[in-house]
Amino acid sequence: MDSFPLRQKRSSSQNLSALQARLQPYLPTAKYILKRIGIYFLTVLGAVTLAFIFFHLMPGDPLSIVFSQLEKTNLGRVTGGAEVAEAYKRLLGLDQPLPVQYLLFLRNVLIGGFDLGPSFVAFPTSTRDVIFRQLPWTIGYFTSAMLIAWLIGTTIGALLGWLRRIGLTSVAVGIATLLNITPVYIIAIAAIIFFGYHLHWLPTGQPYDPGLTPNWGDIEFIKNVLRHAIMPIASVVLVWGASFSLGMRSLMISVLGEDYLSYAKAKGLTPFMILRDYAFRNALLPQVTALGIALGNTINGVLILEAIFVVPGVGGLFVRAMAIHDFNVMQGVVLLSTVAVLTLSLIVDLLLPFLDPRIRRSND
Amino acid sequence: MTPIMQIRDLSVGYASRRAVGLAVTSVNLDVEKGEILGVVGESGCGKTTLAVALLGLIESPGVIQSGSVQLRLADDKLVDLVGLAPRPLRQIRWKEIAYIPQGSMSALNPVLRVRQQMTDTLVQHGLSKAEAIERARWALNLVSLDAAVLDKYPHELSGGMNQRVAIATAVTMQPAILVADEPTTALDVVTQRSILQELVKIRDQFGTTIIVISHDMGVMAQVVDRMAVMYAGRIAELGLVLNIFDAPLHPYTQKLIGSIPKDTGQHLEGLEGEAPSLWAYPPGCRFHPRCSLATAICREQTPELREIISGQYAACHHCD
Ligand SMILES: Nc1ncnc2c1ncn2[C@@H]1O[C@H](COP(=O)(O)OP(=O)(O)O)[C@@H](O)[C@H]1O
Ligand code: SF4
Ligand SMILES: [Mg+2]
Repeated sequence: MDSFPLRQKRSSSQNLSALQARLQPYLPTAKYILKRIGIYFLTVLGAVTLAFIFFHLMPGDPLSIVFSQLEKTNLGRVTGGAEVAEAYKRLLGLDQPLPVQYLLFLRNVLIGGFDLGPSFVAFPTSTRDVIFRQLPWTIGYFTSAMLIAWLIGTTIGALLGWLRRIGLTSVAVGIATLLNITPVYIIAIAAIIFFGYHLHWLPTGQPYDPGLTPNWGDIEFIKNVLRHAIMPIASVVLVWGASFSLGMRSLMISVLGEDYLSYAKAKGLTPFMILRDYAFRNALLPQVTALGIALGNTINGVLILEAIFVVPGVGGLFVRAMAIHDFNVMQGVVLLSTVAVLTLSLIVDLLLPFLDPRIRRSND
Repeated sequence: MTPIMQIRDLSVGYASRRAVGLAVTSVNLDVEKGEILGVVGESGCGKTTLAVALLGLIESPGVIQSGSVQLRLADDKLVDLVGLAPRPLRQIRWKEIAYIPQGSMSALNPVLRVRQQMTDTLVQHGLSKAEAIERARWALNLVSLDAAVLDKYPHELSGGMNQRVAIATAVTMQPAILVADEPTTALDVVTQRSILQELVKIRDQFGTTIIVISHDMGVMAQVVDRMAVMYAGRIAELGLVLNIFDAPLHPYTQKLIGSIPKDTGQHLEGLEGEAPSLWAYPPGCRFHPRCSLATAICREQTPELREIISGQYAACHHCD
């Protein structure tokens, strides 16, 4: 019988060609990346245009709505209301013809760095500043909650899928299914009643104790903020974690039925290696896409939670803007959340070719 | 010669909610060391189920109803793959008995490079990373593939190349037995021939025992020493391939061989009717609804596989 050859030292030219061979599969990625980024900018342009059309072609201009509201409530019995309105219009550029307004809008938003003019909710602070002041709260609470939910949900889901034949897991699946169909605000309210009012373990709302002055350098203040954040974050983690775990579980189960899994078993690999390199690795790909979509939709999903927990954030800002017809802020929030969705799906699409080699080829 | 593998009364089924349907029924088979043994039969007759059972890979909804698969190790010790604990089973897999799957395209993980898929087993069986890669190169070379394939993903290779990768992967540990399930299905004729040649080469070079499974009599004719003809989960005929092609004993084998297109390209005798499902086998000889020689005894009594001529076995009431 033949024996195996001795190891040979490879020459440097061989190393070079090996390097080329290693890089070669990634090359179509460059083309794919460029194409994907191009599409991204086009869709962002489309989103900005849609936002413009939606808010400018709505019946009635925002200012007259504001003024008529003020008049109705008797608060705005100001003399010379019409002149004031005209002045505001000029200030906001609403006196220009629509095409000019559109071009100005494009310039301000795309080149001017999200310049949407002054807000009404906090006039004369700019819309951008008003929104960006709220954004860290939203990201801090809910984007991080979504990430935690994904990490926990994906891990639990992978295990539930892997252990699908063990009867006990169906209990966990039942609980997850129940959590998944429960609206997040029900969980939130239940948590407030139980852990807040009943057990007095956790604060029921507010970003931090009302008496405190915000000071991010103070460890005690940060601790206080974190304590207040536990319930909002835990609510999201429970509901979204359940949803992510169910998704991951079914992805795992479908992967476990694949031929490459029984082949890996036939090779004598340990269950752990099969779980890590064959099952989890392959099920993870669609799960990453699911995270991207969920993160992009954060702003849409948090409106009600911010209200329930009385915490600052973009959702609450949007509600306030709606109440007084602050079109600039509404427009800004809508744009921001659209761009967030687009950007996250861009990131996911750029990440996937590195996780899934098939995409490198199929899209070039 | 002492057989390297002894299959005794092996019955493998699939469980539904109410019953178990036997895809492999009371199979007895000795596999001789160094031979290429063919298992042939129509699709659905239980060939893959048998192969999977030989690897100790049957799992739910599959169940091993009875029997044993004794494997003779290098030190002449016998181990029964049926009911072996997971750990010793893992050690036997690939080292003693390796597998060339049906459809290597779907058997290779699409998101891992060939390098990882060829070497992970080796590392797991105790080789160093460098040794594993060296051995993978050696194996690829053996099946006429360039080592550059190591850096490729399965979808970047042709069907024939994937099949060669699967064969190379199977020989990396120099196993005593190779089980190749439909190794040439879905490949063009030229590739088929060269793939089969690789198998013969491996047997000739290393004395590897190879079990080749196929629905294709042509494959049997090309590479196999001995073959087992399966029908509806049972072995219908067993013997040297030359003898069987020369003078098939079982009516089913006769029809199978008769249905091979001859040089003229004509189907001389087609197989009429369909093979029974594992949930509704006919009583007696499972072939009787399709057999022109069937008599009353065929409908009542199951024919046992018995030696009709020296070295040639058939399970039929009417073939002496
Ligand atoms: N996982 C399974 N569950 C239920 N029945 C199965 C399963 N796998 C195979 N079978 C049935 O077992 C029989 C034999 O299948 P198989 O061993 O794949 O045959 P072959 O490889 O000869 O085509 C077929 O009737 C098939 O439908
Ligand atoms: S036993 Fe009877 S039915 Fe079965 S193959 Fe022989 S002759 Fe045909
Ligand atoms: Mg098969």
